[in-house]
Amino acid sequence: MPSRRRALLKVIILGDSGVGKTSLMNQYPLNLAVISLVLILYVNKKFSNQYKATIGADFLTKEVQFEDRLFTLQIWDTAGQERFQSLGVAFYRGADCCVLVYDVNSVKSFDNLNNWREEFLIQASPSDPENFPFVVLGNKVDVDGGNSRVVSEKKARAWCASKGNIPYFETSAKEGVNVEEAFQCIAKNALTSEEEEEIYLPDTIDVGSSSQHRSTGCEC
Amino acid sequence: MSSSDSNSSSVDDPNPNPKPLDNQLETLNLEQGSDSIIIQNDDDEEGRQQDQGSSLNGSLNVNSDNHEQDDRIGLVRNVVWRRTNSEMEVDVNGPSSPSSSGYAGERGSSGVSEDDEIQEVAKDSALHGVFDSQAAWLPGKRHVDEVFSVNMKRKREKQAIIISQSLNSFDLVPSIAITEDDASISWRKRKKHFFILSHSGKPIYSRYGDEHKLAGFSATLQAIISFVENGGDRVKLVRAGKHQVVFLVKGPIYLVCISCTEEPYESLRGQLELIYGQMILILTKSVNRCFEKNPKFDMTPLLGGTDVVFSSLIHSFSWNPATFLHAYTCLPLAYGTRQAAGAILHDVADSGVLFAILMCKHKVVSLVGAQKASLHPDDMLLLSNFIMSSESFRQVKLTFIRLLSFHSFLSLLVPLFITIESLLVMGGSIALKSALPHLSPKRTSESFSPICLPRYNPMAFLYAYVHYLDVDTYLMLLTTSSDAFYHLKDCRIRIEMVLLKSNVLSEVQRSMLDGEMHVEDLPGDPLSRFGSASHLGEHQEPTDSPGRFREPFAGIGGPAGLWHFIYRSIYLEQYVSSEFSAPINSPQQQKRLYRAYQKIYASMHDNGNGPHKTQFRRDENYVLLCWVTPDFELYAAFDPLADKGLAIKTCNRVCQWVKDVENEIFLLGASPFSW
Repeated sequence: MPSRRRALLKVIILGDSGVGKTSLMNQYPLNLAVISLVLILYVNKKFSNQYKATIGADFLTKEVQFEDRLFTLQIWDTAGQERFQSLGVAFYRGADCCVLVYDVNSVKSFDNLNNWREEFLIQASPSDPENFPFVVLGNKVDVDGGNSRVVSEKKARAWCASKGNIPYFETSAKEGVNVEEAFQCIAKNALTSEEEEEIYLPDTIDVGSSSQHRSTGCEC
Repeated sequence: MSSSDSNSSSVDDPNPNPKPLDNQLETLNLEQGSDSIIIQNDDDEEGRQQDQGSSLNGSLNVNSDNHEQDDRIGLVRNVVWRRTNSEMEVDVNGPSSPSSSGYAGERGSSGVSEDDEIQEVAKDSALHGVFDSQAAWLPGKRHVDEVFSVNMKRKREKQAIIISQSLNSFDLVPSIAITEDDASISWRKRKKHFFILSHSGKPIYSRYGDEHKLAGFSATLQAIISFVENGGDRVKLVRAGKHQVVFLVKGPIYLVCISCTEEPYESLRGQLELIYGQMILILTKSVNRCFEKNPKFDMTPLLGGTDVVFSSLIHSFSWNPATFLHAYTCLPLAYGTRQAAGAILHDVADSGVLFAILMCKHKVVSLVGAQKASLHPDDMLLLSNFIMSSESFRQVKLTFIRLLSFHSFLSLLVPLFITIESLLVMGGSIALKSALPHLSPKRTSESFSPICLPRYNPMAFLYAYVHYLDVDTYLMLLTTSSDAFYHLKDCRIRIEMVLLKSNVLSEVQRSMLDGEMHVEDLPGDPLSRFGSASHLGEHQEPTDSPGRFREPFAGIGGPAGLWHFIYRSIYLEQYVSSEFSAPINSPQQQKRLYRAYQKIYASMHDNGNGPHKTQFRRDENYVLLCWVTPDFELYAAFDPLADKGLAIKTCNRVCQWVKDVENEIFLLGASPFSW
């Protein structure tokens, strides 16, 4: 066992389809265990009409070293977002960090960041929404040599600043610009939000019938 | 898959009809209560499926775009098999080709011929005594003993081939410990996986492989469970080819078993319940509060160091009948000896001890509970598993260190682990050592540890004072008071003195050597006793005439081809199991019989078809005869050629025999269960 335990962080990647979320994740030439689940359920005739639904999600793990600690990022990527709602709270539950991705060549994908952020805060309902660690990635900066870019870095940084200084990175999943840094930041962000380890302290059985069995309050 | 369980009367056909010509439309059979729900995979998202090359469907598709890989993997597999044949749980499927899907099992019919070949080899090696499950079983995680994990990446494949070839030629088994993950062939070939995860999809425990590397896999499991829950339903079982995926949701804790062992759903679910119980025993159900406060809560640190407890429990699923009978077993002892042990335990129970239990390995010597306190057999199973699997309770120095890591969270505030060498403290243990010089010279230790009995009170801790009296025999004194260590120590000293004086410990040793009831010792024709109790077979059609009654001692086993039996007393919640004898000699034969019992137990207790009173089942391995009455249950295994009438008669004799010696094989009276 290492002196400091490994931490597992649940990271959720959100953003419009086509902004390059998946390629961002798959870019790592590391020993990735890519697990994908595309499970489409059709329930038998009895329920089929009201039950028909689709979930789609990709999961992968990535190890990141930050300072002296090793982190396993459990990355939840969305797929087919419009249908993806069916996972709802379960998908967002217990997230340590949320990564918002947009395409710098698409204004709409940038505008939608706000919706994604709010959607996340509603669904995940973190205990401290103001300080929940988000990271924003402006992706595809390399497309067309940057000539097709429509969202300026300044505009993006301004939005991030307005939402509580969300760290901002420009990435190109194709070229790998800043991707490593971005993931380092994710680990760091999640780390800072990690609460102090609480002491785990269950009760002691109190056999009510006889006082001599009573817990003597040593737990304090 | 093992060829052993080809019983005709098994349950559903595990292979739902795959839809031909449409490889995206395989069906899964999802059983939810009485409703059978079909999950289909269709090509709605064909783009994704092609990208990822993976889909969770009826056969858990795998990529097979690369044929030359198959040969290589064939080589690799040989080695993996060779190394892991000692593990009893390794699948001998045909090769699974690499894929990015989480869990690959079978590959359709093309693998069948491969299966046979491998099985031949497996049987061969078994005959040559290559493996012995008891000896080969190592506590702790299995990934350590894997030769290597084969990464799906082609780059690595070359390396793997080189390794495997050198292994083939030298027949060496290097101890290269590479952690498995869900991309490893070896991991996929495991016949039985167990997972614990949190409701946010964070891994807590995996039987094989590194939990962190399986983070993606556990997220997948969480997504499946949550998806079904969102529909207001519950997923209980998914059949995927010959694999069963069994789910158990316990609040924020999810447990999953993936198995191709053909065990009944009820058995696998019961095993998940026990694993959950083991977790509760270590942590109490208060962990739920941690999840309520913080869904991000990562439970793994709290369970640090307890891998061995879970792997030992999982191992016991394949040898310990207590895991499905929900009963405990006693060490056979003369009535007076057990009484003497019970009397002294009773004395201490009156002085504020909730339960006093004296056990030898997994068998009870005596046990006493305070008034109105009752101990469930499952709690005893989990408690003794916890004590026995943790080396820390045995040895002085280890105890302190290991327990601190076990319960570091507690030791911060409740520094209760007082470990004192008994040699220093008490003349009693010196006396013990001189009285029993043949015992291991290992110094015994005393430990005080918080534990929770899930069936007694899952919310709170008790404190267990544990002391090994000799290598296998240990005393557990459970109390509600966290500062009772010195009191319990005094109790233990008194108990130890009495046990020594009354020779209980040496009797225990002797009984361990003698073993349980032997089928060969079954007393002769009990016709004279007929009428003293209800007898199996009285209502059966007379398949044999009294004149044909004979005693065909075939040279193996007991009379009438009796090989083995288990008798469970319902009222006492105890069972007795005969000693294994020829021809059930090898560990895998014992495991096969155990699984057969498990299956017949499940079928006898199946609410859908039962409850049955008797069952006579013949296959190529055994005749199994099962008899359930309000007082007891009898499970007996005979030679597959055994005569039905004789087998029934023999069962009657077994029951009579058990009744005749019940004073010695059961703990009678003074049982906490009777309160």
